Amino acid sequence: MVLYYYIAALILSMAALFIKKQSVTKIIMTVFLLVQLLFTLHIMQNSGKTELTYFTFDALGTIFLIVLTMISIAVVYHGFRYFSDRSPERFFYYHSALIGLIASITGAYFANDVTAVWVLVEATTLTGSVLIYHKKTTTALEAAWKYIFLCSTGIAIAYLGILFLSMTMTGLGIQDLSFESISKVAAHANPLYLKIAFLFVLVGYSTKMELFPMHTVGIDANTEAPSPIGGLISTGLVNLGFISIFRVYISLSGTTIFDWMNHIFIIVGVFSLVVAAGYELKVRYSARMLAYSSLENTGLVAIAIGVGGIGYYAAILLLVLHTLVKSSLFFQTGQMYRILNTHMVDESGNYMKIYPAGGLVFLIGLICIAAIPPSGLFVAEFLIFKSLVSSGHWFVLILSLFLLAFIIFAMSTRILKMVFSRPQRFGDEDFIKLHPVETLSQFIFLSIVIFICFYQPQFLVDLINQSIAGLPK
Amino acid sequence: MLSFLTILFALTLIYLSITERFRSFSKLIAIQGFLLFGIAFLELTEVNTANLIFIVTETVVFKAIVVPMILYRIINRIRIYKVHSKALPGFYSLLFTIMGLFLSIILANTLMDKFIDTVYLTIALFTLFTGLLIIVTHKLLFSHMIGFLVIENAVFMFSLAAGKEMPMLINIGILLDIFASVLILGIFINKIGSQHRDLMADTLTSLKH
Repeated sequence: MVLYYYIAALILSMAALFIKKQSVTKIIMTVFLLVQLLFTLHIMQNSGKTELTYFTFDALGTIFLIVLTMISIAVVYHGFRYFSDRSPERFFYYHSALIGLIASITGAYFANDVTAVWVLVEATTLTGSVLIYHKKTTTALEAAWKYIFLCSTGIAIAYLGILFLSMTMTGLGIQDLSFESISKVAAHANPLYLKIAFLFVLVGYSTKMELFPMHTVGIDANTEAPSPIGGLISTGLVNLGFISIFRVYISLSGTTIFDWMNHIFIIVGVFSLVVAAGYELKVRYSARMLAYSSLENTGLVAIAIGVGGIGYYAAILLLVLHTLVKSSLFFQTGQMYRILNTHMVDESGNYMKIYPAGGLVFLIGLICIAAIPPSGLFVAEFLIFKSLVSSGHWFVLILSLFLLAFIIFAMSTRILKMVFSRPQRFGDEDFIKLHPVETLSQFIFLSIVIFICFYQPQFLVDLINQSIAGLPK
Repeated sequence: MLSFLTILFALTLIYLSITERFRSFSKLIAIQGFLLFGIAFLELTEVNTANLIFIVTETVVFKAIVVPMILYRIINRIRIYKVHSKALPGFYSLLFTIMGLFLSIILANTLMDKFIDTVYLTIALFTLFTGLLIIVTHKLLFSHMIGFLVIENAVFMFSLAAGKEMPMLINIGILLDIFASVLILGIFINKIGSQHRDLMADTLTSLKH
């Protein structure tokens, strides 16, 4: 099925590129979404199965594939709306690259080998850069250049990590780099090599996870990419970065470097929060504000992994819910741009009056992303803080809460300014009228996030528990 | 012969860190391509013919001929021939490079393992250090690109240190090299060259809002 999925994705991507008719491209994208949906169902029904040697349908990949498929539908829809008042010149490149990006992320979620993950992550750089440069402006070029340059450097660094892993594995008689093989013999490997390998992999893939120290790549990309793509990069691709690092972490969790890896995660997480808090206070661009919020959330995820215990569960739950909230907010900034023609916080305002449905999304989205009840993120963050208390990480807890207060303050003031304040740049012009139905996807996603605050479906709980089953309790 | 080629490769790195002419950068990248071919050819005696052809194509055709040609094309197009804005004078660059060499020797000896060739590991670490140094101490985007190409050569060296048992890793490393270099050089020659005439990294700061 993996093979058929990729053949279908390739054909549809090529068709979108070469059949330059908007109506046909829309049909192509609809067909692709159907293929994506069928593939997701196939994986859910074939849990644990391995296909084409390199793809194993495990619980961790399945969780993230389900949310990826959900947001992909919205990404495609908002992409169509994005082009409704723009030149169709880049329409075909955009959709061709979008299919490539979603397919690459999907495959990487299930890759069971370090090198297979790496190849697919590399493919996301190629397709992602096409989408980031989509607007063809000077700033888009700058973002694309930085994205390619830093991602390539990051991927080269991650590859060095893989080479270090291979160096120590060949000595132990292992001839492949599957996560299963690594975890079998890692306990007998040279710990120094394992530490170097893990550090390189963490730094390299932090370009995708939007985690300190290579977070800047994602921040610039989210800022410049069209908002539906920003919604995909800051969620689906972030989850991919997480999976790439987390699988290596699980494989090495039975070794003597386990505690050391946890310390590294906590350090990286705290630094991510520090950077996010600092920049969130001075940011003036709505998409950039959301990008720094992603850095905050990935920082919390890193801390949760570092602390362990219930933190593992909380980390995955946080990422799942973050995907739904953050994509909704990105889609909304895109709609705001269509109406107000600006992304700048200072220039926008009165959004609740101009487009009430959008204003409401911003308000609910703020409550959700700030993890204020009834947001599902509240449950996830509460569990993270609980694990910090139970493991005695009081300093990390206090510092995290202190930094989160700054981030929530910064985001609240900016979003409330956009929604309620009097705009500086324009008066009572006639704005483009959007139908509230265009905001339906955001309401659905945010409703799910609120629903999960009160009730977590058993299949979700089971999937998360299966994902972390291999980790020490 | 192998030692001679490896030492020669290390010397090109020292020269790269102090040179200020773009044409010299390009020539050194070409020389490194040929040297890597020689090292790989002599070292990888056990790999099959198909892999060997792949490696030869990558080192000689891509690294030693195609990439330097593209670099020359970029130089002729942007008409900037010399590093005119550098954070560090040549003397200090040389000092840092020598320090990097010693650091690499110490690190490689610390990491000594019976399955790893310490000489390759030393040179690979030194290559990585030099690439990063070029990126950090230069302001022109062209120099950053050279730094990246040097890091790619470091990856190739690492592959040689590790890849005798897993030739697939060398092939994947090569694919990374081609993929990233083509992408970076492509965007540089087609887009940035025409929009940012001064090609300074300092000018790429409009996204900080």
